[in-house]
Amino acid sequence: MNKSLSLPIFAVCLCLFFTACIQDTNFDQAEDIALTPVVELDLIYFNLRADQFFDTINSSPILTVRDTTEIKFLDDSSLQESLKRAEFYFKFTNSIPRTFQVDFQFLSETNDTTYVTGTSVAEGTLAAPIITEFIENVEGDDILQITQANKVVVSVTIPSSDENLEGTLNLKSKTTYFLEY
Amino acid sequence: MRNFLTIILSLLGFFAISQNKQILYGFDDVPQSLMLNPGMKVTQKKHYGIPFLSQIHFNGGSSGVSVYDIFKDGNDNINDRITKKIFEMKNTDFFTATQQLEIINFGWRAKNEIYFSGGIYQEFDFITYFPRDLAILAWEGNRDYLNYEFDLGEISTTGDFMTVYHFGVNKQITDKLTVGARIKLYSSMFSYRSVDNTGTFVTTLGDENAENIYEHTVRNADVTVETSGYASLRELDGSAQVTSEILGRAFFGGNLGVGVDLGFTYDINEAFTFSASAQDVGAIFHSKDVESYRAHGDYTLNGINLVFPPLNQGESTFPYYNNLEDEIEREIPIDTLHKSYTQFRPVKFNAALSFGFGRFNSSGACDCLNMGGGTLHKQNVGLQFYSIFRPKGPQMAGTFFYHRRLTEYLSAKATYTVDSYSFSNVGLGVSADIGKFNVYIAADNLIKYSNLAKAKSVSLQLGFNIIIDEE
Repeated sequence: MNKSLSLPIFAVCLCLFFTACIQDTNFDQAEDIALTPVVELDLIYFNLRADQFFDTINSSPILTVRDTTEIKFLDDSSLQESLKRAEFYFKFTNSIPRTFQVDFQFLSETNDTTYVTGTSVAEGTLAAPIITEFIENVEGDDILQITQANKVVVSVTIPSSDENLEGTLNLKSKTTYFLEY
Repeated sequence: MRNFLTIILSLLGFFAISQNKQILYGFDDVPQSLMLNPGMKVTQKKHYGIPFLSQIHFNGGSSGVSVYDIFKDGNDNINDRITKKIFEMKNTDFFTATQQLEIINFGWRAKNEIYFSGGIYQEFDFITYFPRDLAILAWEGNRDYLNYEFDLGEISTTGDFMTVYHFGVNKQITDKLTVGARIKLYSSMFSYRSVDNTGTFVTTLGDENAENIYEHTVRNADVTVETSGYASLRELDGSAQVTSEILGRAFFGGNLGVGVDLGFTYDINEAFTFSASAQDVGAIFHSKDVESYRAHGDYTLNGINLVFPPLNQGESTFPYYNNLEDEIEREIPIDTLHKSYTQFRPVKFNAALSFGFGRFNSSGACDCLNMGGGTLHKQNVGLQFYSIFRPKGPQMAGTFFYHRRLTEYLSAKATYTVDSYSFSNVGLGVSADIGKFNVYIAADNLIKYSNLAKAKSVSLQLGFNIIIDEE
């Protein structure tokens, strides 16, 4: 071998390096990549005592009590895009001998109602509290409504009450968010 | 998020891995081999690298997954493949990318027989370990993982972008021993690291007495991200300003550090030679433009507790949500610190035992029966060892090599390497001299070149020099 051969040999080697290729792959599949996490998250909880349904000063029943909380994460723009389904689970444990109507009113930042749901809760006793479970499944067009909300108003209505009423109404709740990125 | 994933996945395999330059090590036909062992035997009298072209180096890899694993053409769903890979990979699997560009490189033999060499190169080095638990959490959510403790400590990543100024000396001090050292000054343009993190996140089903359905608990969290050269970039407007600011730091404008490379070559006898080197034994002292973020604490989330306070007309209830946010920030505060920190460079260690045979002379003819003669061998075979210190411990590689001087103007080195990525990495390097002009190229994972997508790592070095040989 001599000097004149060096260059051709080197050139061949160089060509070999650059003949590398990528085969049997399809990068268009990147379009199909979807993260689909299912996230379980606590929502609200409360313990309402029976005496909260009676005004001892004026000696009159309070038939409806209300409270409101912001849930700012719900109208977050990235959640709006990625939420496919939301399943709300409410578990009431009632030891008050009354039925209840509990309503959840979702409001936008400008206080427009975007979504409502509610359930009746069975009456229980101090000795034997009764559990009422309620599941609200939100999907399709309703997702658009619920993700406009950034607060929820919880109204608890009792048909009648008196100062001797005893027991508590307990709520535990969570939401399962089915996401897709 | 999807785009981010695509970019990360696409990057795999297009850059090469862990800085191993197994082909170039000991490849004495190429002056840049002196950068891997300052104590190698230098065969030339002088060399000048062609500015910006004397060494272009890419190295990237992923130990657990290849592009093909994810993007192969098939009837199965890409998401099923990703799911399968996430569960297959371990938290010690990693992704790396390294890039180096020599700006200048030169060397000459002085009258006292010391070979001096120096230069400037730019380096980008990135590694991230696979945070398996967080990937599962992001990919699947927590529904099917109640009571499973997701490990936040799996976050382990570093990235550096710097300029290195170096100057080295090399001398054959006895018939058998050649030693060398190189001092390095680092000018860090941008750096971040997040290592030694701890903490867990777990969702447990609450019992009868629990306040709510679940308890979401973060325990012993201590996650830190240290940055240098980042804070001042945030205020800049547009990529042009950012680029010019970063480049401005290339000339000692950044955070400075010092380091040293050491190496030797010892001829055990006329056939066997042992050499070893340590590179980048040093540290960068980050004191300018440093900003660190640290989140630490414990917290259990139960949701929002409504208390139904009696309200008068127009009165508003408690700001439950803001209170909750405040509580989380109080329990797991994210502190922004401006504390100097010292970052040790990833030390690289190389060693080789080679057996040479056939005396090489300028006519190129093999004088194969002459096993001695004190000059260069025509052929060398041997073993090399490489390791680099990374956040979760050293990564190692073993190489079998065959080096042959084909003519005075052309030589080649073939390697077979076993490392974290594969057991089938074959590499080839070729160096050609055309007059005083030297050109070389070295690449590994050649078996995968017919389909690079299947390669878990790729390494490529190429460059152009002017070499003036001994008279």
